[in-house]
Amino acid sequence: MNKAIDSKLLHEPDAYGAWQQEYAATIGTDKQVANRSGVPIKPLYTAADWNAADRASDLGVPGQAPFTRGIYATMHRGRTWTQRQLIGLGTPEEYNARLREVLAQGATAISLLPCNSVFRGYDMDESHIELLGTCGTVINTWEHMDAALQGVDFARTSCAQNDPTPFTLLAFMLVAARRRGTDWRQVSGTSNQSDYLSHYVANHMFYRLALPGARRLLGDHIDFCNRHVPRWNPMSVVGQHMQQAGATPAEAMAFTLSTAIQNARDCIERGMDPDDFLPRFTFFFDISVSFFEEVAKFRAARRIWTRITRDRLGAKDPRSWRFKFHGQTSGADLTRQQPLNNIARVTVQAMAGILGGLQSLHTDAYDEALSCPSEFGARIAIATQNVLREEAHLTDVIDPLGGSFYVEKLTDEMEAEIERVMKIVEDAGGMYQAVEAGLVQRMIGESARRFQQRVDSGEQTVVGVNAYQVEEDASARPINTRPDRTTMQAHVDGFKAWKAQRSAGQVQGALDALARAAGDARDNVFARVVEAAEAGCTHGEICSTLRREMGFGHVQAIV
Amino acid sequence: MSEPHTMSAARPPEGAKAPSGGSDPHAVGERGGHMIPKVLVTKIGFDGHDRGSRVVAAGLRDAGMEVIYTPPWQEIAAVVKLAMEEDVDVVGISSLATDHLIVPKLMAELREAGLGDIGVVVGGIVPDEDEKALLDAGVARVFHPGSAMADIASFVRELAGQVRARRVAL
Amino acid sequence: MKREPGFHDKAGGWARAVLAGERGAIARAISQVERGEREPAAVAAALAPHLGRAHVLGVTGSPGAGKSTLVNALLGELLARGRRIAVVAVDPSSPITGGAVLGDRVRMGEHGAHGDVFIRSVASRGHLGGLAPTSEAMVDILDAAGFDTVIVETVGAGQSEVEIMRVADTRLVACPPGLGDNVQAIKAGILEIADVLAVTKCDLPGAEITARDLKDMLHLRAAGAEGSWQVPVLGASATTGSGIGALADAIAAHAAAAGRGRRLHARQPVASAGDNAVGERVKQLAAADPFLRWAGIRCTHADRGTATVEVTLQPHHINFNGTCHGGIVFALADTAFGLAANSYGVIAAGIDTHLTFQQASHAGDRLVATSVEVSRSRKLAVYRVDVCKGDGVPISSFTGTVYLTTRPHTV
Repeated sequence: MNKAIDSKLLHEPDAYGAWQQEYAATIGTDKQVANRSGVPIKPLYTAADWNAADRASDLGVPGQAPFTRGIYATMHRGRTWTQRQLIGLGTPEEYNARLREVLAQGATAISLLPCNSVFRGYDMDESHIELLGTCGTVINTWEHMDAALQGVDFARTSCAQNDPTPFTLLAFMLVAARRRGTDWRQVSGTSNQSDYLSHYVANHMFYRLALPGARRLLGDHIDFCNRHVPRWNPMSVVGQHMQQAGATPAEAMAFTLSTAIQNARDCIERGMDPDDFLPRFTFFFDISVSFFEEVAKFRAARRIWTRITRDRLGAKDPRSWRFKFHGQTSGADLTRQQPLNNIARVTVQAMAGILGGLQSLHTDAYDEALSCPSEFGARIAIATQNVLREEAHLTDVIDPLGGSFYVEKLTDEMEAEIERVMKIVEDAGGMYQAVEAGLVQRMIGESARRFQQRVDSGEQTVVGVNAYQVEEDASARPINTRPDRTTMQAHVDGFKAWKAQRSAGQVQGALDALARAAGDARDNVFARVVEAAEAGCTHGEICSTLRREMGFGHVQAIV
Repeated sequence: MSEPHTMSAARPPEGAKAPSGGSDPHAVGERGGHMIPKVLVTKIGFDGHDRGSRVVAAGLRDAGMEVIYTPPWQEIAAVVKLAMEEDVDVVGISSLATDHLIVPKLMAELREAGLGDIGVVVGGIVPDEDEKALLDAGVARVFHPGSAMADIASFVRELAGQVRARRVAL
Repeated sequence: MKREPGFHDKAGGWARAVLAGERGAIARAISQVERGEREPAAVAAALAPHLGRAHVLGVTGSPGAGKSTLVNALLGELLARGRRIAVVAVDPSSPITGGAVLGDRVRMGEHGAHGDVFIRSVASRGHLGGLAPTSEAMVDILDAAGFDTVIVETVGAGQSEVEIMRVADTRLVACPPGLGDNVQAIKAGILEIADVLAVTKCDLPGAEITARDLKDMLHLRAAGAEGSWQVPVLGASATTGSGIGALADAIAAHAAAAGRGRRLHARQPVASAGDNAVGERVKQLAAADPFLRWAGIRCTHADRGTATVEVTLQPHHINFNGTCHGGIVFALADTAFGLAANSYGVIAAGIDTHLTFQQASHAGDRLVATSVEVSRSRKLAVYRVDVCKGDGVPISSFTGTVYLTTRPHTV
């Protein structure tokens, strides 16, 4: 079982030997245990696994390289994590009403989730009406954005936008801000889904431009925001999709860091200085229910990112080395069976993210696996964060798991596994080439299959699904709320009327300028997107113009 | 939206022999009752989460069926054209968000194209009240997350058999 | 795209619907061939006057050469030239489970929805040689249905490249770019059959080298029976679109020079309705068979590798349930099998048979059994026999294997 350990490192070598004997005698069959990333897990960790005296510099202190214990000196004790709940539904007016409730209940920032039709680049009058607004808000113009964010001061409240390239939602927001007299330099938030490579790998919603076009547009977007919207984070490198698609936590982190390196290199190639754009790189991760693994994953990531930014990319400003991330509890772990159990799962996931040192958190509603979340479920999700902060006092101590033999050793091992996968990507020519070749997709598919086999065989228990099943009363499930058809029809009719009264010349001129920019490498396509939004172009018009000019991204189907 | 826990992967049944059309040169094709179901696994509407549909496609293959697997975001007209050209027995729609709401539209277009005899199953997140509506519209079965792959495979095989029998009887 | 109301599966009706280009009928006819419900020879016979209009392009190459993506690009080019194109895309079946995921069609998604494109995905079903023998009949159906070009795209390993020779008029072989070892890895047989060679993904490094290596190899090849056709080596990139037009031009040039209709010349002639020397021979064998006289079985037609026999059921053919005794059904099928196998002039001895009973028949029914050759090698041949009632209702299916001796018949 245990390999021979260096007894000099143990404080109580005789006691340890005694424990080993007693353990072996009483354990019966000792199963080999490994976490989701494949790291073997022992029953007990000691100073022989991780010795504080030897590893002080790797551990460090909060707010200083290598940031293992946290990117800020004060962390959550100084400023609690941002409670950024992802919401979206129905019409802009319905969204605004829900938004105000959520802010009143304690959310401190906004994350706007648009309708799936928006993700796909279509306007509402091109889409099946049954599908409009069921899981996100239908926003096709700057006026819709203005209505959705009525009563929100852009200068004070951070607004994350969840659309992928070409980031029309930010464009609409900037137009609305200008109309309200808010200086763009005060607008803060994140382009949450700007990672085109992760969208290419794990299909999910977003898939509109061919790879080369998406790459170019991201560069233009970062450039534009650096110059004109300096408090905006244009780059959110996304690990969530890949982990949801089946990548192990270590793989998801490795692929995400590799994407960040790719994007950073692309920016450097455009002539940008790393210290200009790295401070505004943020990350977005899935948090699974594998508690310690997630904590270790995030701590390891901070260390790796420090080395990458400082040593490989040549960033000199310590703000460039900071690994800032938003975490979302993983819907992939939630079940339809006995859905209230999901509240327990989300709590554990949230704790892992908080103790892992995230900057902002979204907690899923328990009914995520049944339908788009209800108001009732959303309220519990927010309350969960409030309980963890104010009743469990998780903000009182910075990196409370630091120094734990297990957590530190696991951090080391996750670091090694992450770097191993990063090397595979590096050897394949970097993330862009690895994704283009389908390598990353295949690796994720393999991991997904392996996990499925473990669930199948019962090795991985899923409560209520392959163990502890009960006959359930269907009436216990919450009622589904769908957008009211009449309200949505009115929204569509209003949209058509609005389009009819625009200046056709102005609209066409803006779309032509956009099309020309797509073919001119010296122009900034995102700047033209903003201008088109200002001229009254709709989301669908902007997207279809770029789809035509830059090519449509076809999906690889690898089974 | 995030993707919930999906279904189990397939394993060939214990003691399964290669069906005809495998390595048996004496039983070429589907004579002697060794029907090989032809199944389309696809997604319509807007959602792109396809982890579940990939697992099911692989599972049906492992159960000895021929599967046409498409990426998400298929237009309904394209699905109908595909179903006709490939002469599929069963269409399996994977739906995570609310895309199942347009399955009745798909079924209407299949009927209009003379393909109303094709079996349709839906898998994914479908609230109970919607499930009833789908079954009333002619969907043969709705599979929820956590469904066992073996159940899906055996139902699809049986459904395909019924579809074929109806066609021969024409 | 509707199926004609009242579409029936009767003999003859299906052919009319196919010739009229009805999508549903084409699809159903292809299914019947795939499932063994209709023999390839019967298909060819029914459609014979209408074959040879389409240009059949076979596409093969090593796995990873990007065949499907290349075919997709060609579809775009041909559509722009006003063609109607059908594609038969073959994917391998699992040898263990017998199932398959047919994914080639996905890579043609861009053009798959176009009204002038018809795509059919086929599993190889483990047939020796990779490519399904029934694919030839599928191509016939699509040819007769009026498509200008029929593209057959196959798995790129093993014997399938050789099988393409039978199915296609023009053979395109796709090679991925890379260092010289990529070309070494290509099976030697590919160069023998290629009419056009395409180096795919030619925007990537290594394409030049691969093209040069291929040209070198071609120089070593002796001039083939094609005579003056020089096999071109062309670079093409499906992603950038470069070289696709030139590729389409080269394919069209081959069609004009040597290709179109070539696949039909290569076939054995379809059995004609009239008597012929082989048929006479086989009928003599039947006449000399005491059992056939005793059972009342007659041979009505025969040719190389095929025979048709029939019997009208008498009371003494019936069992205690009042239906035809299985032994008579077997005897009929076995006779068709034996006559076909022995039609080459040497003694063929049956070694294994398999029969299924599908429908009962009764006194007074006329039963007809037709056998068709599935494969024939030096020592073994396999036949399939359909037994039907006179009105076409299927009664039984039979498969048999013979061992081929070298001894001639003594009759």
